[in-house]
Amino acid sequence: MYKYIIYLFLSLIILNTSFAKTNNKINSRVIQQKADECLTCHFDNESNNNEPAHLFKQDIHFSKGIACAGCHGGDSSKDDMDEAMDKNKGYIGILSKEERYQVCVKCHSDPNKMKSFGSNIPTDQFEKLKGSIHFIKSVNAVTPIADCVTCHSVHNIASVKDPRSKVYPANVPSLCKSCHSNPTFMKQYNPSLPVDQYEKYRTSVHGKQNLKGDAKVAECVSCHGNHDILSVKNSKSPVYPSNVPQLCSTCHSDKNLMDKYKLPHDQYENYKGSIHGEALFVKQDLSAPACNDCHGNHGATPPGVESISNVCGTCHAFNAELFAKSPHKKAFDKLKYPECITCHSNHKIVHATDELLGVAKNSKCVQCHKNEPNDKGFMIAAEMKSLFDSLESADKISLDLLKSASQKGMDVSEADYSLKQIKQILIQARTITHLSDIKEFKDKMDEGFIITNKTKQAGLDAIDEFYFRRYGLGIATIIITFLVVLLYIKTKRIDKKK
Amino acid sequence: MTYKKKNQIKNGEKTRRDFLNILLSGGFIAWVGAVVYPLISYLRPPQVEVVKVNSVNIGKITDMDKDSGKIIKFGNDPVIVIKLSDGEFRAFSASCTHLDCIVQYRKDYGQIYCACHNGRYDLHGRNISGPPPAPLAKYEIAIKNDEVTVYKPSA
Amino acid sequence: MKETFNKKIYNALNERFQLDNLVSFLKHKSVPKYRNTIWYYFGGISLLLFIVQVATGILLIMYYKGSEDLAYESIKFINAKVSFGWLIRSIHSWSANLMILAVFVHMFSVYFLKAFRKPRELTWYTGVILLFLSMGFGFSGYLLPWDQLAFFATKVGTDIAGQLPFVGDFLLKLLRGGEDVTGATLSRFFGLHVALLPGVFVVFLSLHLIFIQRQGMSEPEDWKNKKESEKTTIPFFPNFTVHDLLIWLIVINILAILATFFPWELGPKADAFVSAPVGIKPEWYFLFMFQSLKYIPAKVWLIEGELLGILGFGLAGLLWVLVPFWDSKTPKGKRNKIINYVGIFAISFIIIFTILGYLLD
Repeated sequence: MYKYIIYLFLSLIILNTSFAKTNNKINSRVIQQKADECLTCHFDNESNNNEPAHLFKQDIHFSKGIACAGCHGGDSSKDDMDEAMDKNKGYIGILSKEERYQVCVKCHSDPNKMKSFGSNIPTDQFEKLKGSIHFIKSVNAVTPIADCVTCHSVHNIASVKDPRSKVYPANVPSLCKSCHSNPTFMKQYNPSLPVDQYEKYRTSVHGKQNLKGDAKVAECVSCHGNHDILSVKNSKSPVYPSNVPQLCSTCHSDKNLMDKYKLPHDQYENYKGSIHGEALFVKQDLSAPACNDCHGNHGATPPGVESISNVCGTCHAFNAELFAKSPHKKAFDKLKYPECITCHSNHKIVHATDELLGVAKNSKCVQCHKNEPNDKGFMIAAEMKSLFDSLESADKISLDLLKSASQKGMDVSEADYSLKQIKQILIQARTITHLSDIKEFKDKMDEGFIITNKTKQAGLDAIDEFYFRRYGLGIATIIITFLVVLLYIKTKRIDKKK
Repeated sequence: MTYKKKNQIKNGEKTRRDFLNILLSGGFIAWVGAVVYPLISYLRPPQVEVVKVNSVNIGKITDMDKDSGKIIKFGNDPVIVIKLSDGEFRAFSASCTHLDCIVQYRKDYGQIYCACHNGRYDLHGRNISGPPPAPLAKYEIAIKNDEVTVYKPSA
Repeated sequence: MKETFNKKIYNALNERFQLDNLVSFLKHKSVPKYRNTIWYYFGGISLLLFIVQVATGILLIMYYKGSEDLAYESIKFINAKVSFGWLIRSIHSWSANLMILAVFVHMFSVYFLKAFRKPRELTWYTGVILLFLSMGFGFSGYLLPWDQLAFFATKVGTDIAGQLPFVGDFLLKLLRGGEDVTGATLSRFFGLHVALLPGVFVVFLSLHLIFIQRQGMSEPEDWKNKKESEKTTIPFFPNFTVHDLLIWLIVINILAILATFFPWELGPKADAFVSAPVGIKPEWYFLFMFQSLKYIPAKVWLIEGELLGILGFGLAGLLWVLVPFWDSKTPKGKRNKIINYVGIFAISFIIIFTILGYLLD
């Protein structure tokens, strides 16, 4: 109790002396801040609201009681300029680019200090920044591309939740744009990096919502991270190809969030089970399409119904080209059927089998084509499927024949070799089905049937040859044995004659 | 009696020996057959599969001089390609329809000429003088990106 | 009728070529008949197999192409495309091996029956030369299909020749036609196999046969003191000839069976940049030498082990060839047991090391 009284007494004395020394009118806040001579003096000498002392009064640090000297050093209690800005008392003045982030680090990397100001924000920002591309890359090997103040501003730093802050979600795109849309600036660090991300972003659904002030939609840092931004080529980056699906799923698999936008939330689950997901996750094939390869990244929008074949066609070029020439293209677009997706589905694209084709119950063709006399498509679908089936079974027959011939020790390597083309022909024919033209299709399949017929004949011939050799040997052996017996009799007779 | 018996035995032996010899020579002939048949089959050259050729690229337009001809291999068939003085390309079968000699382009005649029996064809492949009984078969020419390709005449 | 026709032809030929002389010569020629007569057939078997080799070899040349690019393909072509090509090639390969086997048996039987003794030393020498030529045929012919095994066997084989002192390097290059086994080696071996060796072989074979015809069949040692009437013989013609024919037919049938049921294989095409296949070994008739070289330590005194082995084999071979020289007892009618011991040692050595070569890899 006695202790507190002494504290109170002491503080009263300090207050008294400061009152005594300042004859100027006193801002109400200054009282809270105790007496900050730096601010007082600079505030009076400034001409407008954009100058440091004016700005600083809006700063979150100011509201936490951190004075100018907290960053610039010196003694803010002295109203004498020489005394206040005495280098011996640690006055730094204007912070150099090399050291300015160090003042921030002094508190923001120290959990105890942060707690003492009643803040519970994380304290690992600098650790993260140190590894980020903004910190590592530098033109002069001394100053990083971006440090704390680049994004958080200098004297009017606000909480990320404060709409006035430069890093408030709705403000982030403009913040990043200030460098990333500047070709001259970007060229210093990565000449090949595009500078149109902001333009694209504004065309995307995310960008449009963001512009309306929606803080829930994705902006730059939602995907790229904030302090720990890494190059897209770094496998730890959230935008590294194989990380993209998970990244998008953080929002798009969130049922509550998606329900607000009336969007489905099962795309990620579907994608994971698709052939593309398998290629990306299991086979680690980075060229396999992730979300962004179809939807775009900065300009993320679902492709329109009529342009789907162009999207898929970036990889499946032949199929897209053939589809564009097929009668289906026109019919699908007219009926607003989403081209490729109509048969192959979108996120859950599974390995296409011949079962998609034909007129069986689960084939795709019968969803539109019916077994009616004037439905040519039905007949073509049935014929294509049956040709596939018969070529595959012919291939198997030939293969078995050649196998049994080679087990008998016959050399059928040539036929074996030509039979290998069947696989290629089947792949090509499957591509040609997208043209839905029975003549083109038949021409390709006929190449296959010629080969299966030839190899089948080769297999049969080889097996015949095998038995022919055995029988030939049998006949020759009979003849020789017969001769041997006769000769034996003859020798006996000759020997006896003597 | 004994004489007769002896004679019979002798005759019997003789017939038996004759029979044996006949069998032996029969067997020998069969054996020779068993050896000669594979030999003859072996010596008959096997059918070599003809590679099916539909087109042959003969290089760039500039590879051939104007008003000249050359023989190219089209699968197993010789084909004569002629570049006329106006730069047009033509191709014909190079087997003379008379006795299958290989024809040539004669600059001095401006004709296709067969040296074997002085057969002549005009630059459309028509037989115009000498023994050839029929015109030369025409091949088709396609030029794409300055590359000249000879095609089999579509039937 | 037929008989008279045959007679007519015979008479016509006889008139011109005096066949009677030949017939009476053949009729008077006789083969001793005793328990070892069976060995007398192996010379004939070797001759038959050589004839088979010549016949099938000529047939193979009609399709074989002796070049680096085409050799393997042409053998494949013979095997797969030419009708009965598989048979001709398999018979050629099997017959080659059986011929060397027959020649070996023939040589050892002559050795143990002491048929090399005076006056038949030259027959023995030509015979040994024929054996070496046969092995040369085998070695050169093995490369011709140009498959991997052949390629590496030739590499190893010629390497051993290169170990010889003084002449080794020259010999190696002479055989290979360069530093390495390449298409040049194939050309050389092809020439050797179809031109040089056959020519030389025929010369020595003719000498060998002429010597036999001039001197007649060797008689067993203990017949020296027998009277002519006590010797049991069978006439060479027609009796022995018919027996020969009988055996030849059987051998031909064996060849056909081997070729049909165990067709000679063709490995993958030779490629100088493929590592040598595991368990690579030479043909069986070189295996005992190859195997025993493995047991000699790397260095014996100051001489390299391998070189010592090669020189050892050379010396042993020379002694073996010169047996008519150092066997002084047999010509005097005495029993020379050392000859038998040496022979038994040689046979067991060859058999044991060949088996070792096959069992141990």
